[in-house]
Amino acid sequence: MNETIAKGHLSEEQIDKDLLKNVNWGGKFKLWMGFLTVSLIICLYYYYQQLQNGLGVTGLHDYVSWGIYISNFVFFVATSLIGMLVSSVLGMMKVEWVRPVARIAELVALAFAMVAGLIIITDMGRPDRLLNVFIHGRVQSPIVWDIAVVVTYVVISGLLLYIPMLPDIALCRDKLNNVPKWQQKMYRSLSLGWNNTAKQFRLMNRYTRMLLILIIPIALSIHTVTSWLFAMTLRSGWDSPIFGPYFVSGAFVAGCAAVIIAMFFFRNNYKLKEYITADHFDRMGKLLVLVALVYVYFNINEIIVPGYKANTADAKHVHEMLYGHDSVMFWLVQLGGLVIPFLLILFKPMRKPLPLTIIAVVILAGAWFKRVLIVVPTQLAPYYPIQNVPEGWTGYSPTTPEVAITVASFILVVMIITVLAKLFPVVPIWEVKEDMNHKNNK
Amino acid sequence: MKNNKGYHIIILFCLCFLAVANVNAQSDWQAPAEENEKLSPFLFDDDMVLEGRIAYENSCTSCHGTPGQDDFTPMSPPPGDPAAEQFQAQSDGSMFYKIKMGRGTMPKFEDAFADDELWNIVAYIRSFNEDYKQELPNMEGVVIPEYAMSLSFDENVDKLVVKVFAEELPQPEVSVSAYVMGTFGKHLLGKAQTNELGIAYVDVDPTLPGDEEGKVNVMVKATKEFARAKVEKHMVMAKPTERHSAIEGRHIWSTDRMAPIWLKITFFVSVFGVWFALLFIVFGLRNIKKAREEA
Repeated sequence: MNETIAKGHLSEEQIDKDLLKNVNWGGKFKLWMGFLTVSLIICLYYYYQQLQNGLGVTGLHDYVSWGIYISNFVFFVATSLIGMLVSSVLGMMKVEWVRPVARIAELVALAFAMVAGLIIITDMGRPDRLLNVFIHGRVQSPIVWDIAVVVTYVVISGLLLYIPMLPDIALCRDKLNNVPKWQQKMYRSLSLGWNNTAKQFRLMNRYTRMLLILIIPIALSIHTVTSWLFAMTLRSGWDSPIFGPYFVSGAFVAGCAAVIIAMFFFRNNYKLKEYITADHFDRMGKLLVLVALVYVYFNINEIIVPGYKANTADAKHVHEMLYGHDSVMFWLVQLGGLVIPFLLILFKPMRKPLPLTIIAVVILAGAWFKRVLIVVPTQLAPYYPIQNVPEGWTGYSPTTPEVAITVASFILVVMIITVLAKLFPVVPIWEVKEDMNHKNNK
Repeated sequence: MKNNKGYHIIILFCLCFLAVANVNAQSDWQAPAEENEKLSPFLFDDDMVLEGRIAYENSCTSCHGTPGQDDFTPMSPPPGDPAAEQFQAQSDGSMFYKIKMGRGTMPKFEDAFADDELWNIVAYIRSFNEDYKQELPNMEGVVIPEYAMSLSFDENVDKLVVKVFAEELPQPEVSVSAYVMGTFGKHLLGKAQTNELGIAYVDVDPTLPGDEEGKVNVMVKATKEFARAKVEKHMVMAKPTERHSAIEGRHIWSTDRMAPIWLKITFFVSVFGVWFALLFIVFGLRNIKKAREEA
């Protein structure tokens, strides 16, 4: 019997107490939010500059019109996919150990998906023209498909976070008497009069199940369509039929890493060592090995197939990656951000919470730069040579406003997760109790 | 080092020899005296220069390079740059003769170009010489007939019928060349000579693409000795072109309204299907509220 579900020694009251403890607005939280807010305001100043002066303040130009904004967007969409893998695929397969961390995965998914949409807007010099996508968008355009699936995915992720949380919201409503009035009111209306009746559980389970089924194709399409933004164009490095699965497999790597980091943070700050155990980290580490292996497999395909055939443009692209202009970043990302971490976590000691979290941070950073490698170099190698243009157009390096606005997107994600984790218990209380009763009755 | 020096001297010597030999080779080539004195019956104008340039670029550039650029192909003997002094020192008749007859590696263009076209090339070569003054033949007592032309198309035999008159008399043995004018140049339909009735027939390819009505812009030139005439006319003698918009029909690349049906169905059915399910769940939340009392 593994230790993740053996909580027989905890009483129900103890569980309620432990898991509701984090729902408060303590000094630490205020300090942390204050820090995030100040940082966000600084970054937003740069966005104001961009609004005022247009995209000229960025390093983007006629050749590289998709820089770190779009790389970041791809990264965010990728990271948000983990919600589907953990709560839906593993949840429906009745993999019991994921239950305590499923909500964390959903939080990560929702936050990243919400901000992903905003990043697209930052890539527009005239955000007011976003409406044109809806007014003049063509149904043939992958951009229209992308907007449709991103919006849908945000809503499904939100519902999938909310509906299974109903019993816990009711618990907050009943047990938390020392929180502000507006918060009590919010719990009252959000809990939908939850009364732990059998019928309510039946309905909740039915709706959750529908969502879990629905989210699989939606999540697959959100990232497949994101990959199609690239793969549907005739450009070396993008023109690849395996871009969809390549992106999806990469998404799971980034998402797993993000969830591990979030788990570590919650476990230590919210003192949840009894609930998010070392065994959870061990299993998440194994899951990470699995998804990383699949991703390595796709990476090999992405390089070796065009590299072997070596038609002119593709050969140049592969050459730039392996030995040329982008080789340093390429090998750092592939070896340092994927292969070495994956080899390390094959060993059990490396799957302990702290080492695994450090490795996850490295993998997540690698995953971010990997998106830059996918997005940028292709644009610097158009079929027609770059001629008679300003010298700066033969390369791309992000400017300070660009970096600041990208940092802002990360701050927003952390803020969303922080606030949600302060409003609601991060570990599903009723599910932990259910598990425990189930075990005790055996 | 020493060896190197010797080597250089040998190369230099060879080069000098080659240069001398080549100069000789070129200056050796003399047109027969009679040909040398031949004068162009046409006044070299911009029109001729332009046509000469097209002919030159198609047939001469590969060896002689661009005039004035000294970028002719290194051959032995060297073809030389037509804008160079040595070239321009020749008479018009000499140039005309050499282009027409050729020698050694210089091809013979007699069959490729009619006389007027050869003169076009001479006119083009002369356009690089600022000091050049065209020597015109003595025209005293020579009457140049003024040609008039009428064009028609015989659709039974797909032939362009060109009638050449001068003061209402049909003109025999006039060289006629017919062209179809395009946006970026002209396409030679064919060449013919008028018969004793002053009529020349030029074959027309019936698959030639015309405009929506099958019209093409035809240009016909008639030349005989000093007489010269040119006429342009829009004529219905080609295959009508049906113009289609590139985005006509339902395509991935068409407008939104003309998106492929399968795509529209797939997209909207998926989007509305998923949102229908989501709304079903959202409205279903009321049932959870209703179910708060155990039945």
